[in-house]
Amino acid sequence: MMKQNQLHVHIIGSLLMLLQALMLVLCIVSLNDIPWWLKQLGHLHPVLLHLPIAFIFLLLPLSFIFKKDSDQERLFISYFLHYTALFATITALLGLLSASSNEYDPDILLKHKWLSISTALLSHLLIYIFQISHRKRSLWITAVSTTVTVMMVGSHFGGSLTHGEDYLNFDKEEKNTKAFMPLSDSTLIYQDLVQTVLINKCIECHNEKKMKGGLNLNSYASFQKGGKTGAAFAVGDPDQSLFIQRALLNIDDNKHMPPKGKMQLTQEELFLFKEWTKRNADTLLQFHQIDLKDTLHAILSKMVEVKSIENTAKVYPFSKAVDDNIQSLNSPFRRIMPVDINSPALVVKFYLKEKFSLQLLEECSPIAKQVIEINLSSMPADDAVFKHLSMFENLEKLNLNGTMISGKQLSSLKSNKHLSSIKLANTAVRANEIETLGTLPSLQSVYLWNSQVTSDEITLLQKKYSSIKWDIGYIPDEKELLKLTPPSTANAEKMILDPGELVQLKHPLPGAQIKYTTDGSVPDSSNGMIYTKPFNISGLTQINAIAVSDGWMSSNPSNFTYFLKGAKVDSAVLIHRPADRYKSNGSVALIDFNKGITTNLNLNWLGFRDETMKAGFYFSQPAVIKQAVLSIADNTYSYVFPPEKIIIKGGSNKSNLKVIGSFSPIQPKAQRNAGIIPITVQLIPGLYPFIEVEAINLQRLPPWHPGKKEKGWVFVDEVFFY
Amino acid sequence: MKMEQQEKEFRLNVTRRHFLTKAGLGMGGAALGGLLFKDQFIGAESQAAMQLGVAQFAPKAKRIIYLFQNGAPSQLETFDYKPLLNKMHGAELPASIRMGQRLTGMTSNQEKFPLVGSTFNFAQHGQSGAWVSELFPHMAAIVDDLCFIKTMHTEAINHDPALTFFQTGAQQGNRPSMGAWMSYGLGSENSNLPSYCVLLSRGRGNGQGVYSKLWTNGFLDSVHQGVVFSSGEDPVLYLNNPEGHDKQNRRDMLDMLAKFNAASFENIGDPEIKTRIQQYEMSYRMQSAVPELTDFSKESNSTIKLYGPDCLVPGTYAANCLLARKLSESGVRFVQLYHQGWDTHGNLEGDMRMQAEDVDRASAGLIKDLKQRGLLDETLIIWGGEFGRTNYCQGALTKDSYGRDHHPKCFSLWMAGGGTKPGTVYGETDEFGYNIVKDPVSVHDFHATVLHLMGINHEQLTYKHLGRRYRLTDIAGEVVQGVIA
Repeated sequence: MMKQNQLHVHIIGSLLMLLQALMLVLCIVSLNDIPWWLKQLGHLHPVLLHLPIAFIFLLLPLSFIFKKDSDQERLFISYFLHYTALFATITALLGLLSASSNEYDPDILLKHKWLSISTALLSHLLIYIFQISHRKRSLWITAVSTTVTVMMVGSHFGGSLTHGEDYLNFDKEEKNTKAFMPLSDSTLIYQDLVQTVLINKCIECHNEKKMKGGLNLNSYASFQKGGKTGAAFAVGDPDQSLFIQRALLNIDDNKHMPPKGKMQLTQEELFLFKEWTKRNADTLLQFHQIDLKDTLHAILSKMVEVKSIENTAKVYPFSKAVDDNIQSLNSPFRRIMPVDINSPALVVKFYLKEKFSLQLLEECSPIAKQVIEINLSSMPADDAVFKHLSMFENLEKLNLNGTMISGKQLSSLKSNKHLSSIKLANTAVRANEIETLGTLPSLQSVYLWNSQVTSDEITLLQKKYSSIKWDIGYIPDEKELLKLTPPSTANAEKMILDPGELVQLKHPLPGAQIKYTTDGSVPDSSNGMIYTKPFNISGLTQINAIAVSDGWMSSNPSNFTYFLKGAKVDSAVLIHRPADRYKSNGSVALIDFNKGITTNLNLNWLGFRDETMKAGFYFSQPAVIKQAVLSIADNTYSYVFPPEKIIIKGGSNKSNLKVIGSFSPIQPKAQRNAGIIPITVQLIPGLYPFIEVEAINLQRLPPWHPGKKEKGWVFVDEVFFY
Repeated sequence: MKMEQQEKEFRLNVTRRHFLTKAGLGMGGAALGGLLFKDQFIGAESQAAMQLGVAQFAPKAKRIIYLFQNGAPSQLETFDYKPLLNKMHGAELPASIRMGQRLTGMTSNQEKFPLVGSTFNFAQHGQSGAWVSELFPHMAAIVDDLCFIKTMHTEAINHDPALTFFQTGAQQGNRPSMGAWMSYGLGSENSNLPSYCVLLSRGRGNGQGVYSKLWTNGFLDSVHQGVVFSSGEDPVLYLNNPEGHDKQNRRDMLDMLAKFNAASFENIGDPEIKTRIQQYEMSYRMQSAVPELTDFSKESNSTIKLYGPDCLVPGTYAANCLLARKLSESGVRFVQLYHQGWDTHGNLEGDMRMQAEDVDRASAGLIKDLKQRGLLDETLIIWGGEFGRTNYCQGALTKDSYGRDHHPKCFSLWMAGGGTKPGTVYGETDEFGYNIVKDPVSVHDFHATVLHLMGINHEQLTYKHLGRRYRLTDIAGEVVQGVIA
């Protein structure tokens, strides 16, 4: 057995010597004219190189586990080393054969070549070192480590040759395909479109570091120069252009470009190449020079993504302002906002009159270039503002609505060459001052409502400078008469007044006059008193008022009911009980001067149905009483009606009473809107320490009511005595 | 033999140790895969959420004024002219048109569904030839500035879900309202005023309520809640300093309060505390900003005539329109008006006249006012209700009056300014005014379009709440290109 093994090793060893010698010879010989079949053989290099790399790496673990004393293991390792060296040498030989083409970066190639040859030599050396290092492990380990290192470095360079130097670059950025910039008139066909395609699909193998076929596509010059097979394109002749021919070959053809397995050119990209070559492969050709009817135009519009509405971003000739500047200038009174998140353009707006000063505008100089819109509306800016506006060279929109400018300095805006819109509503500018702006080249609209410019002057301006829109705004029709709103009172809710408290009527229109009556009649041009100042009332007063003013129609009348606080009632007592739901806070509700409201009968109202309303009122300091006023709720829809009769009795105490007044209110004849009705009952004048008031609810609702024949309700919230 | 058998068995036995080791290593391997490729296992993330506070792409509209007509105005009496209904007045609604559309509880007991033609006359106006009823002469005069959508449709058939749907993108649930989303996505232009204001007015017609759910911030920060301006004398209650306090006092107090709140925040970390601090600061600035806005005493005659004399009376629709213009001009991102009273189940003719009187002049005036100040291009104005009304009569059809019930399948809405296409009529309904024939626009589509005009991709304005990324358009919505200039 031993002999066979030794023979085996011997053969391998001999072959190895042969090949190594051959390898050394080939190193120094020029390899330019080797036969084609040898060249083809060299293509096996990338296949075979995996073996020596694997074997050499394996040496490391193997070294640590073999036992010095095991013969079998030593033999195995000996075999292993022989094969390693053999494969390394064959690989190196094949590599030498394939290194002849000038496809590769010569520097890297040189390094790879010599390191790999060294690897082959070292692996051969290892065979002998192993035999002598029987006792000296350290020598063995050193030798193996050296071989592994040399192999790693050498094969790294080899990898760089095929995959590019930065293949192992641990950069976070991933190389994505370059996107097309949106098409515009100035898009360059070669630089922006053709080159983008080349970068995405060809440059991986055809660049400065790696020039397959000798072709470098990084620049126009090297593109034109071409590579081994000749110039890449023929100016003006796509059919004769090599790069197009290669693309048009059958995909299975070896020479087809891009190679099978890589990203292929799309039909549109190929068309682009053809057309561009046809147009003399011109680097200066721009998109706008391509006729709309040209197929190339259609193809390019299809190829470069149709701009979605979101991408119609206006391109500005300036870059973003420094973020810190924007941050430091931003305040609640001077707001600086970008037009959108990607745009460099800025909008400046000012708020709060009292915080404004021209200095705020002046301080914007660090960002002056980026500002396209300034809004000073309602700010107390005067003519001095104009000298600060000239630094905003890219200003497009200027809002001076409601500012204090006079218009004399408007002509200084001529230095803002991009100004497209000026808003001068509510300012004192005049036609002759604004006219100078008519010559501004980019001006599109001027707003002049409520300025000193008349509509005739606007018409003239519009005729003269017809490309600009001169807006006069709304001018009211003198003949249109609108109706005024009815007058209101200072305190609408308050209906009960203390003695001496005055009634105040008002109307929001400046200069409007109020006419009013207290006798229940409706005021008009002939009837009624003119309101000049707040006035007194006595007892129950019902006021009707209208507003009048020149140039306006008189308003509809408004009416208000006021109750003066009458004689002081010390306490009240409920003789009949109200319905449980509508008992408010008992008898005191009648004298607490808290008025109820029509929409909520649960609050401040006392409601009676099964029993009539009957309450007694005590006066400790009786004064002469002449009338009683009951404040009644009226809501026919809810079965709440005025009482059919009110009977009032008075006397010195509860059991000593006689009738002093009665009244039967008029009942409604149809459903009507809810309201509160004051009902006055005249009394026999006298001093009454105790007064009893009874309001008899309708015992039978009228026939027109859906609840006819049922009892009605009576609701009272206050009783006044005068 | 037995030995071999035993050996085999031995080798086949998998011990617990063996199993646990191998299983553990296997799980570890899978976990390693999970660590390395984190995103693969988290589940499909939609496109990255947008950065807040600034538009994603150049917006056409910078601010919105939404004139919401609460109660649902009848499209057959406003902008959708259907002469066939007048011709077939009183005839029964054909089943082929109704196609089993559900009825509300109010009309489900009706035996007959007689078609009703509108009592109001329609005419075409402007260069766009848009049909507008005689009730809205002022709007008719400016049709060339308006973009009508006649084919809005919704799923809700009653007011609460429909309103909630329009404002929040879902029929139920406490989701943020449109204005809150705008405030969240774009922030405020003017930090001295809230970025979302709500103004309410009551019409004389049959009113439906509005509730604070409609301007809520939902699960967003409460900074984004709509601020209701009260319709009384004091639009923002408690804004002014009390007697004896001056601005400096107030400032000192706020500074001290901020210190306490900041300490509290450090302790507890509740983000609402920060919101509170911000709100106090804004209130302080509002003391300066608001009074000049709500002071109507200096309005020129021209302005009063533009909006109508109502505009001087706080709490009316016209006054709210004027205030809306002022707020918007001052940089408030979203101003929403609610005008109640359009719910014409009965007495339609009388109620529509009163409602139209309230809103016609003022709505048109608002547009003209913005236009003359050069602000119409950057302000989006929307006018519309929550659904439409039926072409058949609700209740008894008499000579003098009729009513219409709720109809979700088609209704009209108009937009103006802010990048919409002026002088446009988008969409077509059938001659019965019941179904949509061409170009439907759902509420989601409407939201998507509005967001788009404001420079936001509606799919990217999201907020993660309870594990789900919510957005205003929920799970649907396409931008309607036909209404964009």
